[in-house]
Amino acid sequence: MSRRGMNDSDDSPHVGRRQWLSALGLAGAVTLAGCSGDGGGGGGGDGNSSNGGGSSGDLGQEEVYATAAAASFSTLNPIYNSEDGAGDAIARALDLGYVFDENNEYVPLLYDMSTEDGEVWTFDVREGLEFSDPYGEVTASDFVYLIQEIHQSSWASSVNSTNWTGVEVEETGEYEFQATLETPQLLWPESFDPLLYPIPQELLEPYVEEEDTEGLRQDEELLELQFSGNLGPYVLDEWQRDGGTRYSRNDDYYLRDADDLPDAFNEAPYFEAAEVQVIGEQASRLGALETGEVDSAAIPPNQVESYRNNDEIYVNRIPQPYNEKISVNMRDNGWTTGPGNMFRHVPFRQAMAAAIDKEGLIEGVFRDFAQTHFTWQPRFSNFYPPEEDIPQFGVGDSYGSEVARGLAEDAFAESEYDYRFDGETMVDPDGNQVQLSLYHSAGQNTEQLMADFIAQELGDNLGMDVTVEAIDGTRFNNEYWQQTDYPTPETNEEGEVTNVPDELVDTVNGEEVEWTQPTATNPGPRNVTSNQEWDMSVVFGLNTYPRNPLTNNVFFEGANPLYNPVGYYPGFDAEQLFQSAREATTQEELADALIELFANLAEEQPYIMLAFPDDTVGYREGLEGPIENFSNGWDLAAWRYGE
Amino acid sequence: MATESPEQFDQVDWNDLSRSGRFDLSINSIGMLVTALPLALLGVYDWRFVGDRTATFEFVGLDRTLETVDFLFIFTLLLAFWYLVLPLYQNPRRTRYYWKEFKRNRPAVVSLGWLGIVFVGGIVGPLVMNAPQQELLIAYQPPVFTSVVDTTPATCVGEVINGRCHGTWQHPLGTTNAGRDVFTMIVYGMTISMQIAFITTTIVATVGITFGTLSAYAGGWVDEIMMRFTDIILSFPTFLMFLLILYIYGAGLGMFIVVFSLFAWGGTARYVRSKSLSISEEEFIKSSRISGASTYQVIRGHVVPNVASSIITQLTLLIPGFLLYEAQLAFLGIGDSTVPSWGQLIAAGRSDLSFAPWIVLAPGIVLFLTILAFNFLGDALLDALNPEAEAENA
Amino acid sequence: MGFGRYVTARVLWAGVVSLVITTITFLLLSAAPNPDVQQATTQAALQGGDPAAAAERARELRGLDEPLYVRYFDFIQGVYTLDWGWSSSRSQPVLEAVVGALYYTAQYSIPWTILTVILGPLVGVYSAANMYSWRDHAATGFAFFGYAIPNFFFGIILLLIFGVWLEVIPVVYNTDVAVFSVENVVQLAIPVFVLVTGSIGALMRVSRNESAEFQNSDFMKTAKAKGVSPLRAYAYHVMRPTLVPVSTTLVGQLLALFLGSSLLVEVVFGIPGLGRLTFEALLSQDTNLVLGTTLFFTFVAVVGNLIEDLVFTVLDPRISYDDR
Repeated sequence: MSRRGMNDSDDSPHVGRRQWLSALGLAGAVTLAGCSGDGGGGGGGDGNSSNGGGSSGDLGQEEVYATAAAASFSTLNPIYNSEDGAGDAIARALDLGYVFDENNEYVPLLYDMSTEDGEVWTFDVREGLEFSDPYGEVTASDFVYLIQEIHQSSWASSVNSTNWTGVEVEETGEYEFQATLETPQLLWPESFDPLLYPIPQELLEPYVEEEDTEGLRQDEELLELQFSGNLGPYVLDEWQRDGGTRYSRNDDYYLRDADDLPDAFNEAPYFEAAEVQVIGEQASRLGALETGEVDSAAIPPNQVESYRNNDEIYVNRIPQPYNEKISVNMRDNGWTTGPGNMFRHVPFRQAMAAAIDKEGLIEGVFRDFAQTHFTWQPRFSNFYPPEEDIPQFGVGDSYGSEVARGLAEDAFAESEYDYRFDGETMVDPDGNQVQLSLYHSAGQNTEQLMADFIAQELGDNLGMDVTVEAIDGTRFNNEYWQQTDYPTPETNEEGEVTNVPDELVDTVNGEEVEWTQPTATNPGPRNVTSNQEWDMSVVFGLNTYPRNPLTNNVFFEGANPLYNPVGYYPGFDAEQLFQSAREATTQEELADALIELFANLAEEQPYIMLAFPDDTVGYREGLEGPIENFSNGWDLAAWRYGE
Repeated sequence: MATESPEQFDQVDWNDLSRSGRFDLSINSIGMLVTALPLALLGVYDWRFVGDRTATFEFVGLDRTLETVDFLFIFTLLLAFWYLVLPLYQNPRRTRYYWKEFKRNRPAVVSLGWLGIVFVGGIVGPLVMNAPQQELLIAYQPPVFTSVVDTTPATCVGEVINGRCHGTWQHPLGTTNAGRDVFTMIVYGMTISMQIAFITTTIVATVGITFGTLSAYAGGWVDEIMMRFTDIILSFPTFLMFLLILYIYGAGLGMFIVVFSLFAWGGTARYVRSKSLSISEEEFIKSSRISGASTYQVIRGHVVPNVASSIITQLTLLIPGFLLYEAQLAFLGIGDSTVPSWGQLIAAGRSDLSFAPWIVLAPGIVLFLTILAFNFLGDALLDALNPEAEAENA
Repeated sequence: MGFGRYVTARVLWAGVVSLVITTITFLLLSAAPNPDVQQATTQAALQGGDPAAAAERARELRGLDEPLYVRYFDFIQGVYTLDWGWSSSRSQPVLEAVVGALYYTAQYSIPWTILTVILGPLVGVYSAANMYSWRDHAATGFAFFGYAIPNFFFGIILLLIFGVWLEVIPVVYNTDVAVFSVENVVQLAIPVFVLVTGSIGALMRVSRNESAEFQNSDFMKTAKAKGVSPLRAYAYHVMRPTLVPVSTTLVGQLLALFLGSSLLVEVVFGIPGLGRLTFEALLSQDTNLVLGTTLFFTFVAVVGNLIEDLVFTVLDPRISYDDR
């Protein structure tokens, strides 16, 4: 991805935060395409009736539906794509298994999913799905083959492979297969883990026999989506590596025959052709929107006002679950200013949260197009704790020098080192001012503004000296954020852990914890660190998974979850709460456990949470379909221009 | 050091050696040593004893940190003073002659004036003006005498008339998207430009002259190898290589200066070599050889001074290239964004160009004028210093 | 050394130089951590596999477990057999990517070069013919202006004026238009203008100063006295000798611009040419593509320097082959 630098105030760091998370297999970024604002998604329906719909009435069919993308695509191979933008481009020609509509309801596209207990899930594949010749009809065996031979194989390293670890899949009929989970999950579809592209079994077979990863990656049929048949609203005509993609209308689109979807789908899609244009320069993207060359484009917050005054364009504001936060390094190579890492003390993190004026940040940097962020969920989540249950650092009475200093004093009291305030400045045991660095991705205007703002607030309200440093996103990821060279436990032939080296053992809250499965993003206890030392960073934002908050176990389940680069050890029994949420048999039990979890996280501030920036997207006047909702774009195939 | 004919004991003029030997220092060199020594000590102190982020002058209570680049900059300033400015003063007659020649070229005089402003601004500016602070609420203020639609700035500092926000003298050139004062940032950018100009020039001159003279004097296969090496340096795609280094290892302003100057001396070395070859054919060199001067003495005493005056022109014309490269890197968003250079300012304002053009225009014009000034200056110096040469290197 | 031998030696030398630069690039890149290996490790860790084994496997797959010299020879062999590998950031063979980008680069480079070559000496000689008149001053001013204004800055200003405010040129470069069409001319006019302005200055200056010498030469006076038309006189007696020094300046000038500024111009105008290809390859750490584009630029630089030297030798009889 090469967005950084080219489109300064675009809000995506070099490794787009969404793409990046999905590269780790944490989320099907592709499924999140709909919320990127550039369109995406698909239609839905699970029945199969022939309701006609071929009458191709002239319902305001404009010629081309064109959108703008900021960066060119690395690949359109559905098995290996991990980018948001490319996911959008694929979605024009190839539907995914299911989507969620504006009410957060499951909408089956290729298959419906049902379960009794959350452990055994049955997939019902829609009938009448056709690949292009010579691959024939889509059946359950195509999906099962894809899961077992690609996603669960040791050689293919597909992006979705982690989603299927430990899942037993079995074909139970021509259009039906079953998946058995290790532990029950009521919200499995919401995690996007069971989301699949349809890929013909015959196409994959030669590569599976040879275990040919390179071949699979470079297969032209996959790269050009030549097998897509009637599986998408459009057919991919051309992929110009720098220019983008071009599609023509798919007259056989299977959702036209679905009777359980809004009627709008009967005629879908409403455009003769579609395009995704890659326009690197932000100013040019906006120019293209103004002249009508594209039908939608993201608009930077500081220009929303002026576009609202434009008659030809309307701007939608779409809340997002991706956060802006400060990561504070609690590992041994953090807090480079002196002894005793203060970031490890809860009151200190609270002090930092209280020292930063969230409303000021949102007004100044995001021009009010963002929401305050107090706990690890956006406000639109069903699992957002009651406002009165969570501390709201950084606004109202909980903002300011006095509050922050008070909290910092508490932290100093907890620490064995003699940190204190010397007049206005925070000083270390030697009496020198506390000096820390804060990294942001180079070339990201919004991020840089935010970093400067944070540095000023921490200086004014806590007397810390914060140096803002720009860094390349990839470099930060490789040298500061992750560690690939970490100690590994000894295993026997069955893969069971036999001996854990001392470096991988630490005492957390009085209990001994062993890192039996270290990862690059959690390579061990706090003494296992990345190559370069660092204090604070705003380089990566993370997904807070409002649809299925259980997915947040990758961040917070105990001291050694999959993803914990900052070395956060929960001070409450997070494992227990996740466990009870997993075991919940009713929505109420689930909500209770999760709400308690999020109240605790608000208290602990594992990351210093700041804001949820909204997407602000401009559309040509008259375009019907966009909604101001996180699910925006789920019914993209049915979008059209009104009369 | 290869000598063409081994020295004969009886030919050596011992008096000459003791007077103008390699340990005989001019007032310039003494001055240089005396001033550079404390700088070196400070540098060592800063490197060894002061914490990474502690201010260098904390021991005298000054909150000012010197980076490596700053040390190099001061060092080159000292060099320039002792070996460029002082000699001009020591030789008033020659200086007057140069000035007379130079004065005839009016654009060059104006250029010199402009570069003087940039130089003084770059040195004094950061001492008297506070570093530009982020003030988000006053982002996008228009420059004085101009106005923009009221929705552009977050809040308008000046008057709002008919829905248009007018600029004020508080921010004569307007403010950026972070509410930083553009004028202040341009003044801070002068420092960076001057640092780039001085340090790169010094490195290029040192390496180029050393390489060129050595090559010329060594002759034979050594000369061949050295010149072939120069060929490689000359055909090196420096800009590309720097991108490569930047991306693999990361790099700041210091790295930029080092890499670019280490690949820029090729032309200078070639030039110096041919120049010293022709000088070595001159009668006075032959006579000093006969009177027993060592190769070092010949090079140091005759060749370098003769070559130096003519390469000043060449160096002056190299500087704009460096400034341009820095700006280009910054524009691509991969420069060192913590450095307040003009290029960074242009890059920061790029996406706002359609509604806040001053953020790009102001530093862009300043950059343009500076590059222009260096070109005019180089052109004029060429005429003034070697009147026989044609102004070929426009 | 005869001329033939000199040329042979010079060409061989160019080969050596390209090899050296290629080697340096290879070493630089092999010293950097490989993102593919890191990704494989992460993947394995997340799947509960053994990251060390996964890293080993990934290294094996990419041949990274071979000793450095083996990889180096493989690499060199690949370079000269045009097997430049697969670009992971574009999902196409590197050679295809380079050739595709070259197509767009050529579209503006060729008119740019032709215009510079024709206009530079013409304006220079014209300027010399009218020396110290307002025309000369205007031409000189223009030369310095073009030389001093940063290409990318000039580009965005013109794009702002003509694209955004006046809307006479498209803001987004359109790759679909035919090469020889009005649309293509319109969208390439400004980039070509910017590049020509940047490269023409030096040529104008050199040809002006050179031709000034011939201006008052005896043969010119004779020609005028014989009643030769001024146009003819200038064409034969001034232009021709002027072209000798000019042509050497030209190669160096164009080369420098091609390697540096064309990238910026491509970025500003959104032309998917070689410069942008290189830049994006670097950003996405696509090692094969970085190597491929670096190789290409290196060859251009080396060949350009070669041509410059040869042209210089051929045109200027004063240079002997031995004194190089």
